Amino acid sequence: MQLAIRDLSKTYPNGTRALNAVSLDIPKGMFGLLGRNGAGKSTLMRIIATLQDPDAGTIHLGELDVVRDKPAVRETLGYLPQSFGFHPRAKAERLLEHFAVLKGIAEPGVRRDVVESLLRQTNLWEKRRERLGTFSGGMRQRFGVAVALLGNPRLIIVDEPTAGLDPEERVRFLNLLSEIGEDSVVILSTHIVEDVEELCSRMAIIDGGEILLEAEPMNAIDALRERIWRRTVARADLPTIAQEMAVISTKLLAGRTIVHVKSDGPPGPDFEPVEPALEDVYFSVMAGHHGRRATGEVST
Amino acid sequence: MKFMEVLRYELEHRLRSPSTWLYGGFLFLLSMWMFLATADGGMESFANAPERIAGGGAIVGAVGMLVTAALFGDAAVRDVSVEMDPLLFTSPLSKAEYLGGRFVAAFAVNALLLLAVPLGFIVCTEIVTSAQSVGVGPFRPAAYAQQYLFFLLPNLMLSGAILFTTGVLTRHIVPVYLAALGLFISCVAIMNGVAATEQPVLQLLGDPIGMRSIQETTQYWTPSERKTRLLGLSGRLLVNRAVWLTVAAFVLALLHWRFKFSHARVGGRRSRKHPGINDATLAPIRAVSVPRVSGTFGVRMTARQTIAVAARSLADVVSSRWFVAALVACTLLTLLMGWNVSQTVFDTSTWPVTMLVAETVLTERVAPIIYALIALFAGELVWSDRDVHVEEIADAAPVREGVALLGRFMALVAIIVMFQAALLFGGMLIQALQGYFRFEFGLYLRILFGLQLANYLLFAVLTLTFQVLVNQKYLAHMALLLVFLGVLFLRMLGFVDHGLLLYGTDPGWTYSDMNGFGPFIVPFVWFKLYWAAWALLLAVVAALFWVRGREPGMQHRLSRARERFGRSLLGSAAVALTLILVLGGFVFYNTNVLNDYRTSLEEGRPLAEYEKRYKQFETVPQPTITRADLRVEIHPDEPGVDVQGTFTLHNLTGTPIDSVHVLIADPLVEVQSLRFDRASTPVLVDEEARYRIFALEQSLLPDDSMQLNFDVGFRQRGFSNGEMQTKVVANGTHFDRRLMPIIGYQHVFELSGEDARVRFGLAPQPKAPPASQAATIQHRWSVRDADLVQVSAVIGTSADQIAVTPGVLQRSWTENGRRYFHYETRSPISFGGTFFSAKYAVVEDRWNDVSLSVYHHPAHGDDVERTVRSMKASLDYYTEQFGPYPDNQLRVVEFPRYGGFGVAHPHTIAFAESYFLSRVKPGELDQPFYGTAHEIAHTWWGGLVRGAPVRGHGLLSESLANYSAMMVTEKMYGVEAARRVYAFHLDRYLRGRATPSREVPLLEVTDQPYIAYRKGALAMYTLRERMGEEAVNAVLRRFVERFANGNRPYPTSLDLYGELRAAAPDSLHELLADLFETVTLWDVRSEEARVRRLASGEYEVEIDVFARKVRADSVGTETEVPMDELVDIGVYARGEDGTLGEPLYLAPHRVRSGKHTIRVTVAGEPTRAGIDPMRKLIDRVGDNNVVGAKAAPTGTL
Repeated sequence: MQLAIRDLSKTYPNGTRALNAVSLDIPKGMFGLLGRNGAGKSTLMRIIATLQDPDAGTIHLGELDVVRDKPAVRETLGYLPQSFGFHPRAKAERLLEHFAVLKGIAEPGVRRDVVESLLRQTNLWEKRRERLGTFSGGMRQRFGVAVALLGNPRLIIVDEPTAGLDPEERVRFLNLLSEIGEDSVVILSTHIVEDVEELCSRMAIIDGGEILLEAEPMNAIDALRERIWRRTVARADLPTIAQEMAVISTKLLAGRTIVHVKSDGPPGPDFEPVEPALEDVYFSVMAGHHGRRATGEVST
Repeated sequence: MKFMEVLRYELEHRLRSPSTWLYGGFLFLLSMWMFLATADGGMESFANAPERIAGGGAIVGAVGMLVTAALFGDAAVRDVSVEMDPLLFTSPLSKAEYLGGRFVAAFAVNALLLLAVPLGFIVCTEIVTSAQSVGVGPFRPAAYAQQYLFFLLPNLMLSGAILFTTGVLTRHIVPVYLAALGLFISCVAIMNGVAATEQPVLQLLGDPIGMRSIQETTQYWTPSERKTRLLGLSGRLLVNRAVWLTVAAFVLALLHWRFKFSHARVGGRRSRKHPGINDATLAPIRAVSVPRVSGTFGVRMTARQTIAVAARSLADVVSSRWFVAALVACTLLTLLMGWNVSQTVFDTSTWPVTMLVAETVLTERVAPIIYALIALFAGELVWSDRDVHVEEIADAAPVREGVALLGRFMALVAIIVMFQAALLFGGMLIQALQGYFRFEFGLYLRILFGLQLANYLLFAVLTLTFQVLVNQKYLAHMALLLVFLGVLFLRMLGFVDHGLLLYGTDPGWTYSDMNGFGPFIVPFVWFKLYWAAWALLLAVVAALFWVRGREPGMQHRLSRARERFGRSLLGSAAVALTLILVLGGFVFYNTNVLNDYRTSLEEGRPLAEYEKRYKQFETVPQPTITRADLRVEIHPDEPGVDVQGTFTLHNLTGTPIDSVHVLIADPLVEVQSLRFDRASTPVLVDEEARYRIFALEQSLLPDDSMQLNFDVGFRQRGFSNGEMQTKVVANGTHFDRRLMPIIGYQHVFELSGEDARVRFGLAPQPKAPPASQAATIQHRWSVRDADLVQVSAVIGTSADQIAVTPGVLQRSWTENGRRYFHYETRSPISFGGTFFSAKYAVVEDRWNDVSLSVYHHPAHGDDVERTVRSMKASLDYYTEQFGPYPDNQLRVVEFPRYGGFGVAHPHTIAFAESYFLSRVKPGELDQPFYGTAHEIAHTWWGGLVRGAPVRGHGLLSESLANYSAMMVTEKMYGVEAARRVYAFHLDRYLRGRATPSREVPLLEVTDQPYIAYRKGALAMYTLRERMGEEAVNAVLRRFVERFANGNRPYPTSLDLYGELRAAAPDSLHELLADLFETVTLWDVRSEEARVRRLASGEYEVEIDVFARKVRADSVGTETEVPMDELVDIGVYARGEDGTLGEPLYLAPHRVRSGKHTIRVTVAGEPTRAGIDPMRKLIDRVGDNNVVGAKAAPTGTL
């Protein structure tokens, strides 16, 4: 069973083209959807999560038509939106029980087991009698995951879950995500490359409502092996270098500027080869040196 | 200028926001509605009279508090709710700049929007001017300025200050709305006159919007003043406005003091950025195996989910601290609004019986609050997920739309039930605190959790649907209100008056201790079931359009709705439609087929037809009923009654009668047979006008007699759209002549009411003829087919009831499980055909050789003893003063509270239930005593002496009956008590004058109660003061002797007046003319009273008084006339606070028009002095009669 997205398009009334003929095949396992803010990630997530309708295109989860048969999809869906809140005066355990009922777990004994183990898994068991209004961002996010995991969903959508978490919380959260979903289709949308690097066996890069790259992270990194070079430069030299070479990223390290350049051979003196990381894949795709934008398959 | 920047920012935000302009439109429509709804005074008044513009403006302003709450609430909590507070609160703004800028901006915007109110009034004035159905005065800018500046703006200042302060200090919008609700309720309470109190401070406190001040200012204004006079900012109104603006200032000062630029929110929903709980346990994620449980879905799961949604929604509302506050507030409000439920006529209380508390307070008065709360909570429930931002998670959950909706509905039901329980508690508190402990718990339950809950549930479905469809919380509230007002308006115009057309309506109900819910319950249930079917349909619509996901726009909502219209919703819709058809059909069959349905505009048509077709026969000679033999079979369990009887008809006209006209007055009467004892043929049978003409084969010759045998039945079939008949009921049957045939055309049954007569093309009814034409009057009773009739009646009723009718009980027996009573009159009596039947308890007593009895509902026996005492005292006084009592029995009989209060029949007085609930507290007037005395006095006034039905007729009955009752009260309870009755009549007279009714002098009064009852009592009692009791009563005694024979010509007011005038000294002729011949008003006041201690130890008091006398014409235009008469001058020692003390001096002085100084010497130290201290004169302003006495500056005397 996999999620098959075909030619999905969505334009908002104000003219924003959020999705442009997106097609993706997402198998079981963790799938990373990488893109900057406003790339169309959340629109795609919401459409898959039955909360929005596409203008055109189809989505199928196995045999299920996601766009048409929303009630059936919801029965097997776990969704963690990009931003959300909870009833501030509700207590964690009670609220999770409530969602367990909504997700169709009828048997009280079973429900209690599920709720308890989910609270333990998300490390919230100690806090089960606390009100949601007093939870920190990370705790709330983990609680959201617990809600999303209720009812053994076959399709789990996690939209920008690590945004706003502190580093420790992020680590704990990613650990939690890595536990789930070997049997399910799990889509993780994020703008943080490390999230995908650490968790996902497959990924896609989206920008301007179009898929720029669909790959396995390892393969994508391998494809850049021995083609990424770096050099420390003076700030004043940057424009020249950017004109002459395929610069994929510039960043600061301890106050000095380092450029990464994509090139089949050494691009110039003082450049040293770097072991490529997923970040280099992402930036070269975004900069149009790699992926569909480089081959002219999509509009820029 | 940081303040200006805050102001500018806020103004810009507000003016750019579309909701602002929607609010403005709302106010505009509201004011139009208000104007049109009250522009019904006919041509007698101006729809745009300044007083109406002011009062209407104050009310619109009060309802417009919804807008004020939205604007000021938003200004108060927006920064916090959009989490901009950390940025703002850390900027170098001062509290005054920040709060002031926000407040002033909101005030400015709201003040701008309030201009829509005068605008709406002006536009409507144009509309009604073109319609020409109501009077319209010239356009006066001052009237609108007065509305805006005296009411709209000050009230905005007050409500704005309170709501803004609430919002800023609580940082939450819900308390703002609750505060607005509280303010609004106090306004409603005031408009209902609930906060009626004599205490000036309480009056002020109870009137934040100035509504009552308007009423106080205008209460004695005459119609002509009402049309054009501006209120002006004087006296009470000025104080009121000043006090409440000061309150507003204090509230704002409090805000400035209490407000802190701090980040003080606890457990708020936006608190996710500051952890309240330390999540320090950095233990690695444990490897826990989560059971892989998939959801199972089906009918049972759907039910389980519904309960879960309900519980979750309910917990959300109930866990808020505002909820508990609202519950407590509701209980307290019940106390406030219901405390005076036991106040009725005069200042006499009734017991706070459960029937009154549950129906009047908890249903009628409090219902608007509950409806508002339902709307409020419906909004919160529909938006609960979105408000806490969990909607994406909830919407993606496998929960059907209908489940989300039904769950919320159930939560709303639970909330309503909780509020009803709070009301129940409040109601019992009212009873207990007033020392009444006979709680009827079952009755509370049936009203609060039965009848009223049904209304609330239907409304709950409607509000939920509105919230879903409008999809904007506050706009939905306003849309609902507008629809509601619009419907009300249509209803007032008489368009929508079938209960099948107006969502949630029923024909109404009245609970009676005697008869329970009686006939009302059956139609109530059927109508509610019918509307419940509609509610189901509404619910289907709401489920179709339930907002889920993120797609905006109507297009998407429509296509989603189409998508959702699957089998289950389609099925529900089909069920709903089927039920609507079936139930609606059944109701329609009852209201329109079994019963006669007419729109309110068509209401009077049969009567109009009756008049148009048969008025021509009014003067055709007809026989007179002289004897009636009746067999009345009352069936309380149906309920219904069958009357078989024989009328002996005499020809007293002097000409042969060749045809007899028979009228059936009541539309529910069915005629089985009408037969004469001589050959006759029906030449006309008109079922619509219920008129029949029988031609006699052989004419009835003068002085000859014949018999009419009739057999008629009276029962309601099914139920009607209007009120059910309440004449024959399960317990408390009370009917009269109108259920039996009536001979000849009767003027008294003609359609009354100017509007209705115009609508059906009837000329206005002629006024009663002048007294000078009394000699031509042939009949003295309103139904002219009988004068005095010998009656023999056998009444059958159920075995547990007692039946009563005027006459002497001959015997009583049981037959076929029914009880029978045979009554026969000793001598012919006026024939009212009155019958009673109920499960009575009877109290018996004797006065001389007259047997006294009181037939009352067993639970209403507490005060019967007072009634008996009054019967004896009245008989004592009347027989001594006016002449012998013409009978050997006197009864008082109770009937249910469906209508009427007290009616005097021959030796039988009927009182409605409320009379039996009177509770006389120490110091209060004994109303049962007074009322009984009044009705007994009718034995002489209106009974023995029956005036001709000409102008002045009211003086001979109601005025004299009130005078007599005042005299009995005086004998029993002292002059003080009689004076209190006098003060009450004075107030009611002056208020009555204020209604547009063309005031006539007492000598010409026919049917204006404020003249016949009130002014008549004032005039007669004043006369008795001046002439003496003996002189007045001697005139009355002679009057009885002269006219008790009942012969023609019948007496008139002129006959009585002539005798009074003859008996009075010449010096009183002027006063007689003032009281009886003209409409005269006095205006006396004291300006200053100076005291000086004399060497003798006595005190000399100098009082500056002013006096004036005016005559008013029929619309209240006044002309001054010279005054020269005796008026009391009084000087008083120190009394208990507020009251006059012992009179040191009290004597009449000759007072002329204009200013005078009056000098008297008294022995004790005076504190107050003045003119007419007892308020005997008919003076509109009485509280300036007496002033405090000041020490005179030395040397002035």
